[in-house]
Amino acid sequence: MITIQTEDVDIGALITSAKKSGTGAVVVFDGIVRDDDITEMELEAYEDVAVRELEEIAAMAKEQFSLLHVDIIHRIGRLSPGENILVIVVSAGHRPEAYAGSRYIIEEIKKGVPIWKKELTKEGGRWVPGEHGHGSGRSH
Amino acid sequence: MSVKVRFFARFRELLGTDIIVDKGPEAGMADLVREIARQNEEGYKAVFDEQGRFHEFVIVMRNGKRVLISDVEKIILTDGDEIAVFPPVAGG
Repeated sequence: MITIQTEDVDIGALITSAKKSGTGAVVVFDGIVRDDDITEMELEAYEDVAVRELEEIAAMAKEQFSLLHVDIIHRIGRLSPGENILVIVVSAGHRPEAYAGSRYIIEEIKKGVPIWKKELTKEGGRWVPGEHGHGSGRSH
Repeated sequence: MSVKVRFFARFRELLGTDIIVDKGPEAGMADLVREIARQNEEGYKAVFDEQGRFHEFVIVMRNGKRVLISDVEKIILTDGDEIAVFPPVAGG
Protein backbone atom coordinates (compact mmCIF):
# COMPACT_ATOMS: atom_id res chain seq x y z
CA MET A 1 0.00 0.00 0.00
CA ILE A 2 1.41 3.36 -1.05
CA THR A 3 -0.79 6.19 0.12
CA ILE A 4 -1.15 9.67 1.55
CA GLN A 5 -4.00 9.91 4.02
CA THR A 6 -5.29 11.76 7.08
CA GLU A 7 -6.17 8.60 9.03
CA ASP A 8 -3.77 6.65 11.21
CA VAL A 9 -2.73 3.17 10.19
CA ASP A 10 -2.69 -0.27 11.86
CA ILE A 11 1.01 -1.11 11.86
CA GLY A 12 0.38 -4.62 13.18
CA ALA A 13 -1.84 -5.41 10.20
CA LEU A 14 0.81 -4.05 7.83
CA ILE A 15 3.47 -6.29 9.39
CA THR A 16 1.19 -9.31 8.98
CA SER A 17 0.56 -8.57 5.31
CA ALA A 18 4.27 -7.91 4.69
CA LYS A 19 5.17 -11.50 5.60
CA LYS A 20 5.19 -12.83 2.08
CA SER A 21 6.56 -16.23 1.19
CA GLY A 22 10.33 -16.15 1.61
CA THR A 23 10.34 -13.37 4.20
CA GLY A 24 13.13 -13.55 6.75
CA ALA A 25 12.95 -9.99 8.06
CA VAL A 26 10.45 -7.16 8.33
CA VAL A 27 11.67 -3.63 9.12
CA VAL A 28 9.26 -0.94 10.26
CA PHE A 29 10.11 2.77 10.19
CA ASP A 30 7.65 4.88 12.17
CA GLY A 31 8.19 8.63 11.96
CA ILE A 32 6.47 10.39 14.83
CA VAL A 33 5.52 13.99 15.69
CA ARG A 34 8.21 14.92 18.22
CA ASP A 35 7.19 16.87 21.27
CA ASP A 36 9.36 19.92 20.57
CA ASP A 37 7.15 22.24 22.60
CA ILE A 38 4.61 22.31 19.78
CA THR A 39 0.84 22.01 20.05
CA GLU A 40 0.31 20.30 16.69
CA MET A 41 1.98 19.65 13.36
CA GLU A 42 0.25 20.47 10.09
CA LEU A 43 1.24 18.44 7.04
CA GLU A 44 0.52 19.32 3.43
CA ALA A 45 1.24 17.44 0.19
CA TYR A 46 1.05 17.93 -3.55
CA GLU A 47 -0.86 14.68 -3.45
CA ASP A 48 -0.97 13.47 -7.04
CA VAL A 49 2.74 14.03 -7.53
CA ALA A 50 3.73 12.83 -4.06
CA VAL A 51 1.90 9.49 -4.43
CA ARG A 52 3.44 8.93 -7.86
CA GLU A 53 6.92 9.67 -6.49
CA LEU A 54 6.37 7.38 -3.48
CA GLU A 55 5.37 4.62 -5.89
CA GLU A 56 8.55 5.21 -7.92
CA ILE A 57 10.69 5.11 -4.76
CA ALA A 58 9.01 1.88 -3.64
CA ALA A 59 9.58 0.27 -7.04
CA MET A 60 13.23 1.32 -7.05
CA ALA A 61 13.74 0.02 -3.50
CA LYS A 62 12.16 -3.33 -4.38
CA GLU A 63 14.47 -3.71 -7.33
CA GLN A 64 17.69 -2.51 -5.68
CA PHE A 65 17.29 -4.37 -2.37
CA SER A 66 15.27 -7.41 -3.48
CA LEU A 67 12.41 -6.45 -1.18
CA LEU A 68 9.40 -8.74 -1.14
CA HIS A 69 6.93 -6.13 0.07
CA VAL A 70 6.79 -2.34 0.60
CA ASP A 71 4.19 -0.19 2.33
CA ILE A 72 4.52 3.59 2.58
CA ILE A 73 1.81 5.51 4.40
CA HIS A 74 2.39 9.26 4.79
CA ARG A 75 -0.17 11.20 6.76
CA ILE A 76 -1.31 14.77 6.14
CA GLY A 77 -3.53 17.17 8.05
CA ARG A 78 -3.14 18.15 11.70
CA LEU A 79 -1.33 15.73 13.99
CA SER A 80 -0.55 15.89 17.70
CA PRO A 81 2.79 15.07 19.33
CA GLY A 82 3.22 11.31 19.54
CA GLU A 83 1.12 10.58 16.45
CA ASN A 84 2.46 8.66 13.45
CA ILE A 85 3.53 10.78 10.47
CA LEU A 86 5.11 8.22 8.19
CA VAL A 87 5.06 4.44 8.34
CA ILE A 88 7.31 2.38 6.08
CA VAL A 89 7.08 -1.40 6.25
CA VAL A 90 9.42 -3.52 4.15
CA SER A 91 10.10 -7.23 4.03
CA ALA A 92 13.01 -9.14 2.55
CA GLY A 93 14.60 -12.53 2.69
CA HIS A 94 17.37 -11.29 5.00
CA ARG A 95 17.91 -8.38 7.40
CA PRO A 96 20.65 -6.49 5.47
CA GLU A 97 18.31 -5.96 2.52
CA ALA A 98 15.37 -5.07 4.75
CA TYR A 99 17.33 -2.48 6.76
CA ALA A 100 18.99 -1.01 3.66
CA GLY A 101 15.74 -0.86 1.72
CA SER A 102 13.92 0.88 4.55
CA ARG A 103 16.73 3.42 4.94
CA TYR A 104 16.81 4.07 1.21
CA ILE A 105 13.07 4.80 1.14
CA ILE A 106 13.08 7.33 3.99
CA GLU A 107 16.12 9.15 2.62
CA GLU A 108 14.61 9.38 -0.87
CA ILE A 109 11.35 10.74 0.59
CA LYS A 110 13.29 13.43 2.45
CA LYS A 111 15.17 14.39 -0.73
CA GLY A 112 12.31 15.25 -2.99
CA VAL A 113 8.73 14.13 -2.38
CA PRO A 114 6.51 17.26 -2.27
CA ILE A 115 5.31 17.17 1.33
CA TRP A 116 5.71 19.94 3.90
CA LYS A 117 5.38 20.24 7.67
CA LYS A 118 4.41 23.24 9.77
CA GLU A 119 5.02 23.21 13.51
CA LEU A 120 2.21 24.93 15.37
CA THR A 121 2.96 26.51 18.74
CA LYS A 122 1.06 28.72 21.17
CA GLU A 123 2.82 31.70 19.58
CA GLY A 124 2.01 30.78 15.96
CA GLY A 125 3.70 28.45 13.54
CA ARG A 126 6.76 27.88 11.40
CA TRP A 127 7.41 25.77 8.34
CA VAL A 128 10.02 23.08 8.88
CA PRO A 129 12.97 23.77 6.55
CA GLY A 130 13.80 21.02 4.09
CA GLU A 131 17.05 19.08 4.47
CA HIS A 132 17.80 19.18 0.74
CA GLY A 133 18.07 22.30 -1.42
CA HIS A 134 17.05 20.73 -4.71
CA GLY A 135 15.53 23.86 -6.16
CA SER A 136 14.88 24.39 -9.83
CA GLY A 137 17.63 27.02 -9.87
CA ARG A 138 20.30 24.41 -9.23
CA SER A 139 21.69 21.94 -11.69
CA HIS A 140 20.93 18.36 -10.64
CA MET B 1 -6.19 29.10 -22.98
CA SER B 2 -6.70 28.10 -19.34
CA VAL B 3 -3.84 27.29 -16.95
CA LYS B 4 -3.88 26.28 -13.28
CA VAL B 5 -1.21 27.59 -10.90
CA ARG B 6 -0.70 25.87 -7.56
CA PHE B 7 1.44 27.14 -4.71
CA PHE B 8 2.23 25.03 -1.66
CA ALA B 9 3.26 25.49 1.98
CA ARG B 10 4.46 29.03 2.79
CA PHE B 11 3.97 30.14 -0.80
CA ARG B 12 0.33 29.00 -0.63
CA GLU B 13 -0.24 31.00 2.53
CA LEU B 14 1.08 34.14 0.84
CA LEU B 15 -0.21 33.73 -2.71
CA GLY B 16 -3.17 31.33 -2.62
CA THR B 17 -3.48 28.18 -4.71
CA ASP B 18 -5.45 26.50 -7.47
CA ILE B 19 -5.47 29.79 -9.36
CA ILE B 20 -7.11 29.42 -12.76
CA VAL B 21 -5.76 31.90 -15.28
CA ASP B 22 -7.12 32.55 -18.76
CA LYS B 23 -4.34 33.76 -21.03
CA GLY B 24 -3.90 34.37 -24.71
CA PRO B 25 -1.50 32.27 -26.78
CA GLU B 26 2.27 32.70 -26.28
CA ALA B 27 2.01 33.20 -22.50
CA GLY B 28 5.31 32.44 -20.81
CA MET B 29 5.48 30.24 -17.71
CA ALA B 30 7.84 32.41 -15.67
CA ASP B 31 6.05 35.63 -16.56
CA LEU B 32 2.72 34.15 -15.47
CA VAL B 33 4.11 33.18 -12.05
CA ARG B 34 5.65 36.67 -11.68
CA GLU B 35 2.33 38.28 -12.59
CA ILE B 36 0.46 36.31 -9.92
CA ALA B 37 3.16 36.74 -7.27
CA ARG B 38 3.18 40.53 -7.71
CA GLN B 39 -0.23 40.63 -6.06
CA ASN B 40 1.46 40.09 -2.69
CA GLU B 41 4.81 41.76 -1.97
CA GLU B 42 5.87 39.27 0.68
CA GLY B 43 4.85 36.40 -1.57
CA TYR B 44 6.80 37.84 -4.49
CA LYS B 45 9.92 38.20 -2.35
CA ALA B 46 9.51 34.63 -1.11
CA VAL B 47 9.64 33.29 -4.67
CA PHE B 48 11.80 35.80 -6.58
CA ASP B 49 15.02 37.70 -5.89
CA GLU B 50 15.58 41.42 -6.44
CA GLN B 51 16.38 40.82 -10.12
CA GLY B 52 13.08 39.02 -10.62
CA ARG B 53 14.72 35.59 -10.88
CA PHE B 54 13.40 32.57 -9.04
CA HIS B 55 15.29 31.97 -5.80
CA GLU B 56 17.68 29.06 -6.17
CA PHE B 57 15.76 26.91 -3.68
CA VAL B 58 12.37 27.30 -5.37
CA ILE B 59 11.00 24.20 -7.09
CA VAL B 60 8.84 24.58 -10.18
CA MET B 61 6.82 21.83 -11.84
CA ARG B 62 4.87 21.70 -15.06
CA ASN B 63 2.26 18.96 -15.17
CA GLY B 64 3.90 17.14 -12.28
CA LYS B 65 7.45 17.20 -13.64
CA ARG B 66 10.28 19.33 -12.26
CA VAL B 67 11.69 21.94 -14.60
CA LEU B 68 14.93 23.87 -14.35
CA ILE B 69 14.67 27.61 -13.95
CA SER B 70 16.61 28.08 -17.17
CA ASP B 71 13.81 26.17 -18.91
CA VAL B 72 11.02 27.92 -17.02
CA GLU B 73 12.04 31.18 -18.63
CA LYS B 74 11.67 29.63 -22.11
CA ILE B 75 8.48 27.60 -21.70
CA ILE B 76 5.37 28.78 -23.51
CA LEU B 77 2.27 27.47 -21.80
CA THR B 78 -0.34 25.32 -23.44
CA ASP B 79 -4.02 24.94 -22.63
CA GLY B 80 -4.65 22.79 -19.55
CA ASP B 81 -1.14 23.11 -18.10
CA GLU B 82 -0.78 22.80 -14.33
CA ILE B 83 2.07 24.82 -12.85
CA ALA B 84 3.24 24.16 -9.28
CA VAL B 85 5.65 26.37 -7.33
CA PHE B 86 6.89 25.42 -3.89
CA PRO B 87 9.71 25.71 -1.34
CA PRO B 88 12.08 22.84 -0.42
CA VAL B 89 10.19 19.75 0.72
CA ALA B 90 10.22 18.49 4.30
CA GLY B 91 8.26 15.25 4.39
CA GLY B 92 9.05 12.11 6.32
